[in-house]
Amino acid sequence: MSGTEIDDRPGGAPSSARRVRRRRRIDYAGLFYIAPAVILVVVFFVIPLGMMVWMSFHNWPLMGRPRWIGLGNYATLWHDQLFWNALGFTIYYTVCATIGLLAVGLALALFVEKPRPGVSLYRTAYFLPVVVGFASASLLWLWLSNVDSGLFSPLAQRLGLTEVLYNVNAQFDSAFWSVTLMVIWKMSGFYMVILMSGLQAIPADFHEAARIDGANSRQRFLFITLPLIRRPLVLALILAVTGSMLAFDQFYIVLAGGPQNETLTAVYWIFNQSFVSFRLGYGSALSVVLLAILLVLSLVQLRLLHGQEDGR
Amino acid sequence: MKRLTIFAGLAAAALASAVPAHADSFTLWVRSDGSTFMPKVVEAFNASHQNKAELQIVPVNELVQKYAVAAAGGTAPDALSLDLIYTPSFAAAGQLEDITDLAKSLPYFKALSPAHLSVGTYEGKIYGVPFSADASVLIWNKDLFKQAGLDPEKGPTTWAEIRSDAEKIRKLGPDIYGYYFSGNCGGCNIFTFTPLIWATGGDIFSADSKKAQMNSPAVHEAVAFYQGMVKDGLVPAGSKTDTGVNFFAAFATGKIGITPSGSFAIGALNSQYPNLHYGVTFLPGKTGGMSSFAGGDNFVVSKGTKKLALIKEFLEFAYSLPGQTLLAKNGSLPIRSDIAKDALAGLDARYLVAADAMAKGKTPYSVVFNDLINSANGPWNTTLNKVFFADEAAIDPALKECDAMMQSIIDAAK
Repeated sequence: MSGTEIDDRPGGAPSSARRVRRRRRIDYAGLFYIAPAVILVVVFFVIPLGMMVWMSFHNWPLMGRPRWIGLGNYATLWHDQLFWNALGFTIYYTVCATIGLLAVGLALALFVEKPRPGVSLYRTAYFLPVVVGFASASLLWLWLSNVDSGLFSPLAQRLGLTEVLYNVNAQFDSAFWSVTLMVIWKMSGFYMVILMSGLQAIPADFHEAARIDGANSRQRFLFITLPLIRRPLVLALILAVTGSMLAFDQFYIVLAGGPQNETLTAVYWIFNQSFVSFRLGYGSALSVVLLAILLVLSLVQLRLLHGQEDGR
Repeated sequence: MKRLTIFAGLAAAALASAVPAHADSFTLWVRSDGSTFMPKVVEAFNASHQNKAELQIVPVNELVQKYAVAAAGGTAPDALSLDLIYTPSFAAAGQLEDITDLAKSLPYFKALSPAHLSVGTYEGKIYGVPFSADASVLIWNKDLFKQAGLDPEKGPTTWAEIRSDAEKIRKLGPDIYGYYFSGNCGGCNIFTFTPLIWATGGDIFSADSKKAQMNSPAVHEAVAFYQGMVKDGLVPAGSKTDTGVNFFAAFATGKIGITPSGSFAIGALNSQYPNLHYGVTFLPGKTGGMSSFAGGDNFVVSKGTKKLALIKEFLEFAYSLPGQTLLAKNGSLPIRSDIAKDALAGLDARYLVAADAMAKGKTPYSVVFNDLINSANGPWNTTLNKVFFADEAAIDPALKECDAMMQSIIDAAK
């Protein structure tokens, strides 16, 4: 194809041939440049993922020989009531945590969006918990919520809120909200940053024009701010949902899945099957199912975003 | 040229025969619980022997995973000091070398801890021999006993005595409690709660470990005993959510009258809380008698190792009187009953109670011990956590359900 081009225009032949050659060279160069990334993805993502799927068709103990059992693990999984309970709890947690994270994150973002004296101090303060690791934050919470030597229970008793020491982690509701509040405290700063960048991208003229037209602050928030930060909001939503669906550390460290296994998450159950019961094959099958669920969830959310954009 | 090669070969052969026992070494892993005694034993062995042991300490919660990965990659250690309850599952997975001959060749084989050997045996062959030992016992705070008007030198010998002593101690103050146990810790409760059942004539498994027996009279009674103490406020509220963190620490505060614990606590209390006066006695049955969980490590050998002779040399050193004394001084009970007294000579007399408990101790046998008992989310822990802090009507259905869950796990592992 390019050869005929050169023949047709003898005058420009040398330069266009060079251009073609250069384009080829760029192609190779491009491949070369992305090779490290491709190799990383293949070695650390594609191969392990394939391995996981392969393992899920085996009875694969941590020690000893794996044995091919086809879809056996998936059949077991179908009747594994504890896994479905764990998944149900994970979804409940995801809904609560996502609403909490986005609401608090948005409120904080609105608060620190405008440049004013001391605002960077607030931004830093709200973002600080994000850089604390999940395990460290959980250990901190484990101590704070300890009924005898922690903070919450003795404090509530001193303040006269409870008559005797109330064991926060002994009841599902108080234990669940204690951990969920910890997650909101720890992660909302991250969503604040995402949403703040969206807020700052809204031109000031829009708000000014609306104010001149007589829109009150509620109307301006609902009809100008919210629609214009839809993209960062959906990004935050996807991140919050995916992160919460994969929750593990906090429930493992603070509650050990208790009281009565009521705070076992899906990943916790996968961990238990793989590294407590040493059934790696079954753990892999559970992981495959969780991955599929997450994929569908993310696709639905992305579709929501695109659907709205098309309708605009 | 040829002559030279022959000469070199002869020289090498001469050199080799001149040093017949050229120093060899074997690799040894121990779980972090053994990080006090094992380095001392290895150090003493290496100092007195030409052959060497190379020790690696592995975090207790990662030991099984780490070992499995190493075994799959062909880099498993030659020998391993393994939590004894894992011996059956390791043996069942085909990871261990049959050391029946080695064990039986020891002249003091009959004096080795029978509980360790019972879990060290799989399908009639010995895969693990005793290495370190930790027996469960009951400890009481002598100062609180004195304050409550009880005889500080006499520990409780029945459940009724535990209960009445605990009631008297509870009256000493709002933050002083009669009894403590870790209510959300499967490992703690198999160690300290099952002996109460055993001493009452019951068991949680059938003799061949094929049947769960959670729904049996002795288990009912033991659960009701704990439940009653919780209901009457003799146990602190934190017990319900204690995953084992306060297993030792609660008693060490000096505000707990009685607690079941392990022989490890004797050394730890003496060194860390020298002002706490406490006594050690057996874990009793309902109306007397005693039992104990014989815990600790079994010494196992990885399948296919070529260092068996070296390993035997090391074991013989550890089993000798100096070896056993070294172990006793560093937190493990002796595992040879014939020289236990000598090994403990000069040490705290309370160790003798623990050593006695050890000799009469039991260890449950299961290839799925982790699933059934140790897992925070397994049937044993969830059920106990439920029934200890519920009312009497809850015991029967919960134990029945636990029994069924355990049975299905046991059956699935066949």
